[in-house]
Amino acid sequence: MSSDGDNDDFLYEDEYDDGFDQDDIDSTSEPDVYDAMSPAIEEAPQKKPYDVSWKVKTLQEIIDMQNKEIMKVQSLLEVPASSAAILLRHYVWNSEKLQEQFWNDPAQALEEAGLSPPSSPTTHTSTQPTGLFECPICCMEYDYSSTYSMGCEHRFCKDCWMEYLTGKIKGEGESAKIQCMESGCKRIVREEVIDDLVTHDISKRYHNLLNAAFVADSPTLRWCPHPNCEYIIECSQAPTRMLNQLVPTVECKCGHDLCFGCGYSASHRPVLCRIVKLWEKKCADDSETANWLQANTKECSKCQSTIEKNGGCNHMTCKKCKWEFCWVCMGPWSEHGTSWYQCNRYDEKSGIDARDTQAKSRASLERYLHYFNRWANHEHSAKLDAEFYQKTEKKMEQMQNSGNLSWIEVQFAKQAVDAVIKARITLKWSYCMAFYLKRNNMTELFEDNQRDLERAVENLGYLLEQNISDTDSIAKLRQDITNQAAYVQKRHDILMDDTLRGYLERRWEFTVDT
Amino acid sequence: MSNLAQARLHEERKNWRKDHPFGFYAKPVKAADGTMNIMLWEVGIPGKAGTIWEGGVYKVMMTFPDEFPTKPPKCKFDPPLFHPNVYPSGTICLSILDEEKNWKPSITIKQIVLGVQDLLDNPNIGDPAQIDAYQMYKNDKNAYEKRVKQQAVERRQK
Repeated sequence: MSSDGDNDDFLYEDEYDDGFDQDDIDSTSEPDVYDAMSPAIEEAPQKKPYDVSWKVKTLQEIIDMQNKEIMKVQSLLEVPASSAAILLRHYVWNSEKLQEQFWNDPAQALEEAGLSPPSSPTTHTSTQPTGLFECPICCMEYDYSSTYSMGCEHRFCKDCWMEYLTGKIKGEGESAKIQCMESGCKRIVREEVIDDLVTHDISKRYHNLLNAAFVADSPTLRWCPHPNCEYIIECSQAPTRMLNQLVPTVECKCGHDLCFGCGYSASHRPVLCRIVKLWEKKCADDSETANWLQANTKECSKCQSTIEKNGGCNHMTCKKCKWEFCWVCMGPWSEHGTSWYQCNRYDEKSGIDARDTQAKSRASLERYLHYFNRWANHEHSAKLDAEFYQKTEKKMEQMQNSGNLSWIEVQFAKQAVDAVIKARITLKWSYCMAFYLKRNNMTELFEDNQRDLERAVENLGYLLEQNISDTDSIAKLRQDITNQAAYVQKRHDILMDDTLRGYLERRWEFTVDT
Repeated sequence: MSNLAQARLHEERKNWRKDHPFGFYAKPVKAADGTMNIMLWEVGIPGKAGTIWEGGVYKVMMTFPDEFPTKPPKCKFDPPLFHPNVYPSGTICLSILDEEKNWKPSITIKQIVLGVQDLLDNPNIGDPAQIDAYQMYKNDKNAYEKRVKQQAVERRQK
């Protein structure tokens, strides 16, 4: 798996290939045709079955891609380039569907896309009348040369056109769907017309919007979500329907990871995109209120409504279901007889039952909080990355000074920190995964792997915190850290590999639909 | 205040005086000292003959933004109207008055008022703006019609 330029040609062939099935993931099984481009094939053995290939593209390459498609359609349908572009955008760059519709009924296809039928001229080539023209928008008179009309013959002055187009592009961020100014007219304004009528800045913005729309419309393209990064990732191996068994983590040229499937701006391996989304929603909804609810409320023992007691006696009447119960023992009030204000019925059977249901609902909350707290803990540690690096840096300097070690020789510490951070991200997501897994033997194996990695990371973290006292202990510490870092790496790979393979082998069962 | 907006509105006023649909009125608002505010118009829209809206003339205040005609005017029934597509504030919910929907700079005041008149008897149920009229329209047509007719009587032009 690589994103560098060597295998560009090889992957390019796949570019518009939607008919992707699972076998294709392994590039060694590609047909012999590709053998000529051997560099990519040589890298194939390293590729895991759950990894995807991708390419990082520049904006220029995206523009070239569009132009290539436009030229293809232009020569096939024998229409001007700007018409081809409007047609393609209308059919969301699906050139097969476009051709089918076009050959079926050219006039209708053009009309639907907002173009004039081929018979009438698409721009105002007809002889211009002489004299002055009153623009129906600003009601001022103009020479015909300062006015413009499209094939629909709705004429307006160029100032009004500029005002209107600028408003649409700058104010509303529209690009491909800007229509004629006449009320009810659906004619789309062509690229070259817009370039001609607006200022350079606005035209530049317009083209940026067109490119953004192209990327947004294409299932094989995604913008890198990191701030100030302008690269685009292309990946044809992770269509939406594959996201129930693939976690397409890719690395942008800006150096950051992202998920191609959902656009998450970091790796969320080994968890599926859909589960991540559920988890994030749950966390956003629940985590803060859940803690408070647990501390301050109880549920009605009949309808399970959440109740906060804000005063009064223990004789509760549920507002929702009118059930009367005792706040202390949660049993029905009717059994309390006349012993109001003191609950001596603690072990009555109905009280136990009521507490049971309540306990169940509390248990589900506690279960969530168990996973959430571990997830959040690793999330928090990840935020302290920078500090961790700095602290290690200082320690490395100290070792160089006091232990007579060379710069190269102390690099082991940095490598160990790298391993810890990587493992923590994986561990973080493993708790989200575990929350949604059904309890079975597979899950137990998963949790064993998780526990081993957790323990390894803890040990390594402890070693990295150690103080350096004298030269002898440095040698020993260095040995320990190097060993432990290798172990962490190994445990990490095992957890990752086993989990991701599990999707392909359909080993995991979730409590929610994937 | 942009010159473009003012020039266009003066022209709209000229055209309106030359020719306008029967029963309608539209004029810029005059301040107490007699100066005219061309950016704020008072418009009267009559209910179509033969509909439950007949007889009433419904007053609309049209506020034109400086960016007019790139942006549409804000149209508000004054007082607010009992109608499924009119917000409790009186603001009208109509696609040709929405910049992000079907507003085009070439739409004239005449087209707007005719559009609003048409909306009176053809409410757009997919886009409700007030609960009262919407629910009554959906659940109890008779009561709705009675209420609208009552409103038409109240809004009869003196």
